Amino acid sequence: MQVYQAPLRDMRFVLHELFAQHDGFGAIAAHEEFTPDLLDAVLEEAAKMAHEVLLPLNAPGDEEGCHHENGVVRTPAGFKDAYKQFCEAGWASLANDAEWGGQGLPETINKLVEEMICGANVSFSLYPGLTHGATTAIESHASDDLKQRYLPKMTSGEWSGTMCLTESHCGTDLGLLRTKAVPQDDGSYKITGNKIFISAGEHDLAGNIVHLVLARIQGAPEGVKGISLFIVPKYLPKDDGSVGPSNGVLCTGIEHKMGLKASATCQMSFEDSVGWVVGEPNKGLAAMFTMMNTERVSVGIQGLGIGEASYQGAVAYAKDRIQGRALSGVKRPDLAADPIIVHPDVRRMLMTQRAYLEGCRAVGQWVSRALDVVRHGTDPVAKQRADDFVQLMTPVVKALFTDLGHEAAHLGVQTYGGHGYIREHGMEQYARDARIAMIYEGTNGIQGLDLVGRKLGAHAGRYLKSFFHPVSDFIEANKDAKEDKNNPWGKLVAGLEQAFGALQLSTATIAQKGMADPEEAAAAGTDYLRLLGLVAMAYMFARSAEIAGAKMMAGEDPDGFYKNKLTTVRFFYERILPQAAGLLMAIKAGKASMMDMAEDAF
Amino acid sequence: MSADIKKVCVIGAGTMGAGIAAQVANAGVPVLLLDIVPKDGANRNAIAEGAVAKMLKTDPAPFMSKGATKLVETGNIDDDLAKVAECDWIVEAVIERLDIKQALYAKLETLKKPGAAVSSNTSTIPLEKLVEGRGDAFAADFLITHFFNPPRYMRLLELVTGPKTDAAVADKVAAFIDRSLGKSVVRAKDSPGFIANRIGTYWLQVAVNAAIDLGLTVEQADAIGGRPMGVPKTGVFGLIDLVGIDLMPLLQKSLGATLKPEDPFHATVRPMPLVDKMIADGFTGRKGKGGFYRINREAGKRKESIDLITGDYRASVSIQPPKDKLPALIARKDKTGEFAWGLLGAVLPYAANLVGEAADDIVAIDEAMKLGYNWKFGPFELIDQIGAANLAKRLADEGKPVPAILTTAADRSFYRIEGGKRQFLGADGYYHDIVRPEGVLLLEDIKRTSKPLLKNASAAVWDIGDGVACFEFTSKMNALDGETLKLIGKAVELVSTRMKALVVYNDGGNFSAGANLGLAIFAVNIAAWGEIEKLVAGGQFAYKALKYAPFPVVSAPAGLALGGGCEILLHSDAIQAHAESYIGLVECGVGLVPGWGGCGEMIDRWAKSGALPKGPMPAVAKVFETVSTATVSKSAAEAKELMFLRKGDGITMNRDRLLADAKAKALSLVDGYAAPTPPEFRLPGVGGRTALNLAVHGFHKTGMATDYDVVVSDTLAEILTGGEADLVDVVSEQQLLELERKAFLARVRDPRTQARVETMLETGKPLRN
Repeated sequence: MQVYQAPLRDMRFVLHELFAQHDGFGAIAAHEEFTPDLLDAVLEEAAKMAHEVLLPLNAPGDEEGCHHENGVVRTPAGFKDAYKQFCEAGWASLANDAEWGGQGLPETINKLVEEMICGANVSFSLYPGLTHGATTAIESHASDDLKQRYLPKMTSGEWSGTMCLTESHCGTDLGLLRTKAVPQDDGSYKITGNKIFISAGEHDLAGNIVHLVLARIQGAPEGVKGISLFIVPKYLPKDDGSVGPSNGVLCTGIEHKMGLKASATCQMSFEDSVGWVVGEPNKGLAAMFTMMNTERVSVGIQGLGIGEASYQGAVAYAKDRIQGRALSGVKRPDLAADPIIVHPDVRRMLMTQRAYLEGCRAVGQWVSRALDVVRHGTDPVAKQRADDFVQLMTPVVKALFTDLGHEAAHLGVQTYGGHGYIREHGMEQYARDARIAMIYEGTNGIQGLDLVGRKLGAHAGRYLKSFFHPVSDFIEANKDAKEDKNNPWGKLVAGLEQAFGALQLSTATIAQKGMADPEEAAAAGTDYLRLLGLVAMAYMFARSAEIAGAKMMAGEDPDGFYKNKLTTVRFFYERILPQAAGLLMAIKAGKASMMDMAEDAF
Repeated sequence: MSADIKKVCVIGAGTMGAGIAAQVANAGVPVLLLDIVPKDGANRNAIAEGAVAKMLKTDPAPFMSKGATKLVETGNIDDDLAKVAECDWIVEAVIERLDIKQALYAKLETLKKPGAAVSSNTSTIPLEKLVEGRGDAFAADFLITHFFNPPRYMRLLELVTGPKTDAAVADKVAAFIDRSLGKSVVRAKDSPGFIANRIGTYWLQVAVNAAIDLGLTVEQADAIGGRPMGVPKTGVFGLIDLVGIDLMPLLQKSLGATLKPEDPFHATVRPMPLVDKMIADGFTGRKGKGGFYRINREAGKRKESIDLITGDYRASVSIQPPKDKLPALIARKDKTGEFAWGLLGAVLPYAANLVGEAADDIVAIDEAMKLGYNWKFGPFELIDQIGAANLAKRLADEGKPVPAILTTAADRSFYRIEGGKRQFLGADGYYHDIVRPEGVLLLEDIKRTSKPLLKNASAAVWDIGDGVACFEFTSKMNALDGETLKLIGKAVELVSTRMKALVVYNDGGNFSAGANLGLAIFAVNIAAWGEIEKLVAGGQFAYKALKYAPFPVVSAPAGLALGGGCEILLHSDAIQAHAESYIGLVECGVGLVPGWGGCGEMIDRWAKSGALPKGPMPAVAKVFETVSTATVSKSAAEAKELMFLRKGDGITMNRDRLLADAKAKALSLVDGYAAPTPPEFRLPGVGGRTALNLAVHGFHKTGMATDYDVVVSDTLAEILTGGEADLVDVVSEQQLLELERKAFLARVRDPRTQARVETMLETGKPLRN
C-alpha cells in the first residue's frame, strides 16, 4: 500500500519561514494579495486532492498501463474522471496568467503543488505538466492571434499540450531532425514527419491536443540554425473555438516502458498537418528552450516528489516491520522483535532520504522564488540577478533532484528488503518511475555539460555570482561563530565554508582548464553539478538551522519540528556534505583517467 | 634625429601635405607649410593656416603634442617660396597634375640650396616625367616619397628613385623618414601605382567583381575575403567604405591610364551601375551617408548591408568566417571556395608578376601590403601557405599564365629559416638573408635563435645581448595576471645574479591594457576575495621588486599601456616609449583605483618635477585630476605633459627601433647604478580630501560626474591624501600601498564596480552608473 501524504509542515516552513526575507530579490507586488493563510489553504486543498484523487490511481495505473488501438489511446481506468476533477478545481492553471483564465498564483506555490502531484501519481503529472510547458512557450513566443486561439482552452485544461522534439535518429542532437515544413500561401505550413517519445501525444483526457513541433522549413539551413517551432493541433480549431476537422496527426504506437506506465509515450506521425510558426522562423530552438527550461525545473520536482513518497513508505514499514533486536538493548520487549527502525543502517537510509528531500525542497523553493521575480519583478537589478540564478540552477535542479530522488526511491526499496522488490507494496514502482526523470528533458549528463559549458563561464561568471555571493556573505556574516570549535553553530558554518571553498576551487580549476581544453570541463560536468548542488543544500540547511535554533531558544517548538530540522541538518553536514572534498579531488584529477583508455580496449 | 635634415618644407596643404608637415613637427623638426594664395580674401596664408587649424580639430589627431604645432610655420608659394633655401628637404604634395608640379620644380630648382632633397608625394605620376626639363643637379636631388593617409598613423612609405638620383641624397631622406618620422621605408620602382596601391586596387576590384558574379552578399564576401586571408575583418567592402567609394573610380582611372595595355588590371574594369548610383546619391562610404554597409539610426542604430543586385539596404547578417586553411579553402567546391580562389587565384599571380617591375624583391612587396593595407601576410607569405608549386599547378591546369617567380620557386617556399635567420627567395633563384636595418631589434628575431631564459603561461624573459634581459608579456592581449607577477619576481632574481639590466618590452601592437579584468571579475563572481587580495598584494610586491632591484629597469611601451601596464612603467628607472604610446591610469573608469603602486609613484613624480608650487596639495591635485578622469595620453609626447614620462625619458619614432633604443638606454644606466631610495610623502590629509571632493561634487551637479563617480573619486582622494594622515605626518611608501590595497578591495566588492567591469568586458564601453 502506498501511503503518500503531502509534507505540509516542511512545505510551510520553506514557504513562509526560510524565504520570509525574499532572499535579496525583494517582495513581489503582484503577489501581495496572496496572504500566508490563503496560500496555506491552497496547499491543504492540494494535499487533499493528491491524497484522495491521484494517489488511489497510482498503483492501478501502473498495473494497467495505457492502451493503443487504431490510433486511439486510452488512459488507465479512473484517469479521465480524475483529470476532469483536477481541471474543474482549477489545479491545471494554478500559476497561469489571469489573462488566459489562470489563477496567477506564485511559482513557489505551484512547485509545491507539483511536488504533491508527483508524490501521489507522477504518471498523471505529465498530462497537465506538458500542457503547462506548451502554454509557457506560446505565451512567450507566439503571435497574439495564436495566443487568443489556444491559450484559454489550454489554460483551463480543456485542451492539452505536448512538445514534439525527438525523432528516431535524433534526441540530444536536434540539428539532425528531418520533419519538414512547407510554407503555404496563407502563412501557415504543412508539417510532415515522424516523432517518437512524445509524452501525452495522444490520450482520452482532453478535447484537443496541441502539439508544439520542431521542424525544418523547406530550404532552411542545416543544423540547429534551421529549426523552427510550430503549433500543430490534433483537430483544427474553428473560429468559434470549437474543434473542427482532424489534422493528419496520428498516434502510430505507444512505448512499453520500465515505468511511468500510465503516461502515454507516443509515436506520432504528421502528414501534411497544418501548423503555424511560433516565434521567428529558424529560431525554433530558442522558443523550444523556453518550454524546456520550465520543464527541466518541473522534472527536478518529479524526482523530489517520488523520493518523498518512497521515504514515507519506508518510514511506515521501518516502524512496522519487526526483525532482530536493537544492538543497544531490547526496545520493544512486548514484541517478538524490535521494529527495524532501531537499526543504524536503516537509520542511515531513512536519514539520507530525509536530508535529500528537505534539502532539495528548500533549494527548489529558492529557484521558484527567482522564477517569480523573473516573471513579475519590477526592479531590473533584482530581475537580472533572479534570471542569472535561474539560468545557473536549472540544470542543477533537474539533475541533482532526479539523481537524489532516484537514490531515495531505491533506498525505499532497500528498506523493505524483499518486500520492496515485489509489487505488492508499490515501492519498486517508485524506483522504476523515478528512473526516467534522469533521462528526459536532457539527460543528467547533458545538464552537467550545460552547467560547465554554458552557465559557468557565461558573462565572465556572472551567473555564478547570484549563488556564490549570498553564500559567501552568509559565511562572512557568521565568521565569529566558527572561531568557537565547540559551538555546533560554529562547526556548521565552518563546514559550509569548507565545502564552499571546495566549490570555489573546483570552479576556478574548471574555468582555467576548460578554457584550454573543453574536454576537461566536460569531464568535470557531473561531479561539479553534484558539488554545487550539495553546497546549495548546505546553504539552505544552514539558514534553516539558523531559524530553527532561534525558535528553540525562544521556546517556540511545540511539535518538535525545529528540533528535528536541526537533527536533519546535522546529519547532512556530518554524513553527506563531506562528499564535497572527494568531488573536489575527482574534479582536480581531470579527464586523463577517463580518456586514456583506448577505444578498442572497451 | 638625423643631423642632415634640420628643416623641412612641405608644399601643398591638402590632407596629405598637412599631415606630412604635422609628422615632421611631431619629430621635433621645424617645418614650413606652403600653399597657394586664395583667389579671394585678405589673408594670403589662409589655405595653409586653415589646414593647420583643421588638423587641431581632427580625430585621430595628426599632431602628437601642443609643442609640435608650434613648429609649423605657414606661408604661401607666392611670397614665401624663397624660404625653401633654408630647408634640407622639400616635399611636394600639390595636386596630381604634371604641368603644375613641373612648374613648381622649375622654381625650386633656382631657389633651393644645393644638395637639399626634393621629393614628390605623387601616387600616380612616374618620376621620369616629373624631372623632365630639369637639370642633372636637380634630378640628382629628386625622388618620390609616397606617404599613406593619414601620415602620422600609416607606417608605410614607398620611396622611388630615378636613374639620376644621388644615392646619398636618397639615403639621407630615407634615414630621416625612418628614424625621425618613424615610417618603414620600402624601396619601389618607378612603375604605375608603385606597389601597395597597384596590388590593392586590383585586389579590391577583383573581389567586388567576384562577389557580384557569384551572387554573394557583401557579408559573405567579407567573411571569406577577410580573416581567413589575414585581411582585417572589414574585408573588402568594409575597406572600400572606409577609404571612400568615390575614390575607386578615380584610382581606377589613374592606374588605367598609366598601366601597359596587357596588364590584367584592365580586364577588371567594367561598368558598375550600383557604385555609380551610390556615389551620385552620396553613399560614398563612412564619410558619406553610408556605403556597402551603413548604420541605420532610424532603425535603432541597426547595422545594414546593401543588396548588390537591388541596391536596397537590409539588416546585416553576421556570418562566421570559414575555418579552412588556405589550401583547403581555395579547393572547396562551393561558392566559398570559388570566391576564395577567384580572389587569390588572381591577386597572388598579379603580385608575383610585379617582382622586377614594381620592386626588386618579394620582401618589398610583402612589406608594402602588410604596412599599407594591414594585411597580416604579404602575397608571398600567402603563396607559401598554399604552396608555390600547388598554385603554379592550378594556374597551369586552368590554362592561365604562371608567373616566372613561381616557376623559379618550383617546389620551394619563398621564405625559410636557415641558421636562425629568415631568408627570402630572390628572383635569381637563391635564398638571401633578410637583413634588418642597423638599430632595428625585434624579439621576433631573438626568438628565432634562442630559447627563453624564463617562461610561464603569461610571460617570458629573453637574453637580448650585452647583458640585457627583456621581459615580455605573452598572455592574450598582454593582460597581466598572477603568472606575470610571479615571473617578474623570478626575473629580478635572475638579472640580479647573471645580467646587467632589464628591459620590459614586447613586439605586440599594445604594450598592455592592464590586469586581466575577465579573470578578476570571475574571481569576484565566485567570491574568491582572498585570491583578489593576493593579486593586489602580489602586484605591489612584484613592482616594488622591480623598482628596488640592484640593476636598471627600462620599460618600452608602444600602443596602449593602461592600468597595471602603466604602473609597471612608473616603477621603472626610465622609459623609452614609442611615439604612439597611449598611457594612462584608467582604473576609475571601471570603478576601481590603481592598486599596484600607481598612486604613490605619480605623486612622487609630480612632487619631484619642480614644475609645481610648494606644499603637499599641488602634486596630489594633479594626480587626482589625471587619474579620477581616467585620462589617457594620446601620444608619448602628451604622456610627458601628464608626467607618466619624465624629462629624461626617451621617445622613439620608429616602432622597429624601440627595443634597440630601450636596450641602449638601459646600458647607459648600468655604470654606477644605485637603486632609488624609497620616497616619503607629505600628504594633505582629510582636509585635502574634502577639497578634492568639492571639485567632484561640482561636476556631479552639472551632470559631468555620475553618482558612483563621486564614490570612486572619493576612494581615490582618500589614498592620495594619505587617509587619516595629518599634515605633519610623514607617510611611507608602504603605508600608501596599504591604503591602495584596502581601497581597491572596497571598490571591487561594490556591485556598481562589478557592473562597470562587466559592461566593459561585454561591450568594450564604459558604464556610466
